Amino acid sequence: MATLDLNSISKSFGTAKVLHDISLAIEDKEFVVFVGPSGCGKSTLLRIIAGLEEATEGKILIGGNDVSDAHPVDRGISMVFQSYALYPHLSVYENIAFPLRVQKMEKGELDQRVKRAAEILQLTDKLDLKPGQLSGGQRQRVAIGRSIVRNPKVFLFDEPLSNLDAALRGDMRVELSQLHRDLDATMVYVTHDQVEAMTMADRIVVLNGGRVEQFGTPMELYHHPATKFVAGFIGQPNMNFIPSTVIDTANGLSVELKGGHKMVLPVDTTTVSKGDIVEVGVRPEDVTIGTTGVEVEVRVLERLGGASISYGSIGGDTRFCASLPGDVRVKEGGSVTLEIKPEDCHVFDANGYVLRRQAAPELVA
Amino acid sequence: MMDRYTKLQMAGIYFCVAIFLIFMLLPFFEMFMASLRPLEHLFRSPYQFWSTDFSFDAYSKMWETVPLLGRYIFNSIFIAFSVTAITMVFVVPAAYAYARLKFPFKNASLAIFLGVNMFTGAVLLIPLYRVLRSMGLLNTYWAMIVPGVAFLIPTGIWLLRSYLEKIPLELEEAAFVDGASRMYTLRRVVLPLAVPGLIVVGVAVFIGAYAQQFLFAITFNQTRELQPLPAGLYEFIGYQSVTWNEMMAAALVGVLPVMVIFLFLQKYLVAGLTAGAVKE
Ligand SMILES: Nc1ncnc2c1ncn2[C@@H]1O[C@H](COP(=O)(O)OP(=O)(O)O)[C@@H](O)[C@H]1O
Ligand SMILES: [Mg+2]
Repeated sequence: MATLDLNSISKSFGTAKVLHDISLAIEDKEFVVFVGPSGCGKSTLLRIIAGLEEATEGKILIGGNDVSDAHPVDRGISMVFQSYALYPHLSVYENIAFPLRVQKMEKGELDQRVKRAAEILQLTDKLDLKPGQLSGGQRQRVAIGRSIVRNPKVFLFDEPLSNLDAALRGDMRVELSQLHRDLDATMVYVTHDQVEAMTMADRIVVLNGGRVEQFGTPMELYHHPATKFVAGFIGQPNMNFIPSTVIDTANGLSVELKGGHKMVLPVDTTTVSKGDIVEVGVRPEDVTIGTTGVEVEVRVLERLGGASISYGSIGGDTRFCASLPGDVRVKEGGSVTLEIKPEDCHVFDANGYVLRRQAAPELVA
Repeated sequence: MMDRYTKLQMAGIYFCVAIFLIFMLLPFFEMFMASLRPLEHLFRSPYQFWSTDFSFDAYSKMWETVPLLGRYIFNSIFIAFSVTAITMVFVVPAAYAYARLKFPFKNASLAIFLGVNMFTGAVLLIPLYRVLRSMGLLNTYWAMIVPGVAFLIPTGIWLLRSYLEKIPLELEEAAFVDGASRMYTLRRVVLPLAVPGLIVVGVAVFIGAYAQQFLFAITFNQTRELQPLPAGLYEFIGYQSVTWNEMMAAALVGVLPVMVIFLFLQKYLVAGLTAGAVKE
């Protein structure tokens, strides 16, 4: 059993506080992704879990045992670094064998384990090469190989795909998900790419400025973002935010969107009152061309074939992006009326907290 | 790389390099010419660049004039090698500590090392003499090796530290996560990757050791058999005459083995001095 619990982890570098009171309970065999913009503290948090960095405050429990002061090996973790951190002077075989050599493992078993890892990662015919002779994807696999020979309880990955080109990244995403199923281990994966987070994670931790914004399944984050930050971060293209004024709070939230369109939204209204300024969040894929709705000036139309993405604005300064049918008849420079269903809207108060949706789709597992 | 400079610029560059090289190499050339000249030529005026009685006689006669010459050359190389080896034993762990560890007075002590380097050995000769005497090391090889090591450690640390700092920290972190101790990491990861740097530092220390041994030899050592070549060359200065041509010949023969080693290591030297300049 390798649950991973973080209890009130804080971290300061000198006077700069980069992690604020982070508590997470990660379950056994779960694939958890830490996602957030660059500099939000993802790597620092991962390095604290690894034992490369000491938390200023808080405890780390792996499998229920307090490992806050334990060596990485005793924690039962292994880590794959962003730069792969392969030893350039050692062969692929020796790179993978390194953790076992450190343990002074007996030759026969070492050989068996290295060969097994190489087999899983399709590196069997590359064992005699040096890392410099491998492609990016193969180097990545060697780094993973080195992390699996030791049979750790928890795998840590720090942006392992960010050095690969887009096509390879797609392949490796699938391979990593496969690996997670095969190894049946707890994995913590750091990335700044929300697509990686959405596609691979069992659950996602969204970090912002050293704080946890939200911890939940990908579809939970998509349908029920807790904050404006999460709403804007998850989903591609990004959610649109339309400044709006509250007209009434009885029987749903009546708002007047910028540009004059009025709507009644099925959200919890207990924290707002008449006259408040809120932001209505609309996903680009949730709009259709219609006769009543928001008037959007289209600046650029990207035709992707299956869909056309329009980039424009409401009233000149509120940016609005819409995902429309591929053969839509819209002209760049023209304007279009977009219909928005009230139940698709997200509403955020002045502090960026969501007003709970009351008519959201059911979550798929 | 190609066509980065115009023809004219290339000509200019080569011209400057040529001037520089001439400046550096002319003394060696003149040494060589002097070693070929019969002695009476050397004092003749006007200067004669070439004459028919030039010969390699000096190269055979020098062994008779100074019977211990072979021994001196050996001593020179032996002392320089010993100094280099011992210095490296101290420099490697120290440089690694300065490159990677945090400890009190790290920067202060580094600055002090640099400060010590500002003194030439000459300033410290008398105190050193007393130290060596009380340790009973005068007139032994140690008299020339110990001060040599002491003066070269700071330079070595400075040079190697900056090289070690360029080795990606993530490699060491990866080794740490996999359970390797500091020493294991140093041995299996850091030093193999630092080989070019070690060679550069080793060569720099060797040059330093070779250059400074004269001063230590004439001050701390009276035993003829232990003298290095630069001190031994004094024996070409006789009571009546100085056999300049033989002295030059001996000096050239003495540096020859060192030159050969350098030619071998040249590839590493260039690689080492430019390491990190290009993204790999
Ligand atoms: N060793 C360190 N010393 C000082 N500040 C650091 C150190 N490591 C990271 N930081 C700071 O902590 C913040 C979070 O960094 P990091 O965890 O690397 O972010 P991320 O991986 O999310 O991009 C950044 O502002 C960074 O400058
Ligand atoms: Mg990072």
